[in-house]
Amino acid sequence: MVEVALTIPPDVVFIAFATVTLLAAILALQAKELIYGAIALGASFAGIAGMFILLDAPYLAMLQIAIYVGAVVVLILFTIMLVRREEGEEVTEQRERGEGAAGLWIAGLLAVAIAGVAALAGPNLPSTPPGNALPVSQLGPALVTQYPVPLLILAFLLSAALLGAMMLAKVER
Amino acid sequence: MVTLVSYIIVSAALLGIGIYGISVKRNAIRILFAVEIIVNAANINFAAFTRYLNPPTVSGQVIVFYSIAASAMEAAIGLALILVAFRLNGSIDVRKMDKLKG
Repeated sequence: MVEVALTIPPDVVFIAFATVTLLAAILALQAKELIYGAIALGASFAGIAGMFILLDAPYLAMLQIAIYVGAVVVLILFTIMLVRREEGEEVTEQRERGEGAAGLWIAGLLAVAIAGVAALAGPNLPSTPPGNALPVSQLGPALVTQYPVPLLILAFLLSAALLGAMMLAKVER
Repeated sequence: MVTLVSYIIVSAALLGIGIYGISVKRNAIRILFAVEIIVNAANINFAAFTRYLNPPTVSGQVIVFYSIAASAMEAAIGLALILVAFRLNGSIDVRKMDKLKG
């Protein structure tokens, strides 16, 4: 576990991160204003970054903060500002009767099923992580020696996505 | 006691929240939120399973690395599509995008 957790028990830290993540995720979907929802989404992503730190993956936590909280949420905020309500029709969340309940049932049953299976398999799963966490310095060599092809594909995909997004959003005159 | 199961339960709850959002919400941006939440639920699972693996390997973290980059692309493309849909329809309500309906 991480050094900060020496004074506070790691369980408390985990429960705090999990609570922030789940509550912020619910708020992101249920907030009345879309812009508050986007900010709550950022809080949820930050909670997940905390979980990555608890899982001894500080590089992933940094990526999560930089890409999700830093880029994706800001992109969403700009899109919300561009898709203004005054200019277009308001999106009503008024739904047919029973639709919300049906969604809640499907999602709840699925989540409970997965969690139940995991809890049943609990005794067979490792309860404590192996003592020595991998150092961050192993991630870079693994990327270029073990997984070079996905890295190249990812680079091409990123440039293609950038060009595609620019082509799509371009205003034709 | 934080075990692997704790992380799986949090991830399953996030998946449930995301599926609820996709199936119920009408605003295209909200649906994008839900997709991102589901991707993050998967990322937690990858990071947790790779941490509890013995002997330790780096592969789970590499997969999360690719997944984060891919979902950032997906958000950029999705938001561009939402902008186009807004320009064409004047609305981002997915229930009103039925022009291809026979």
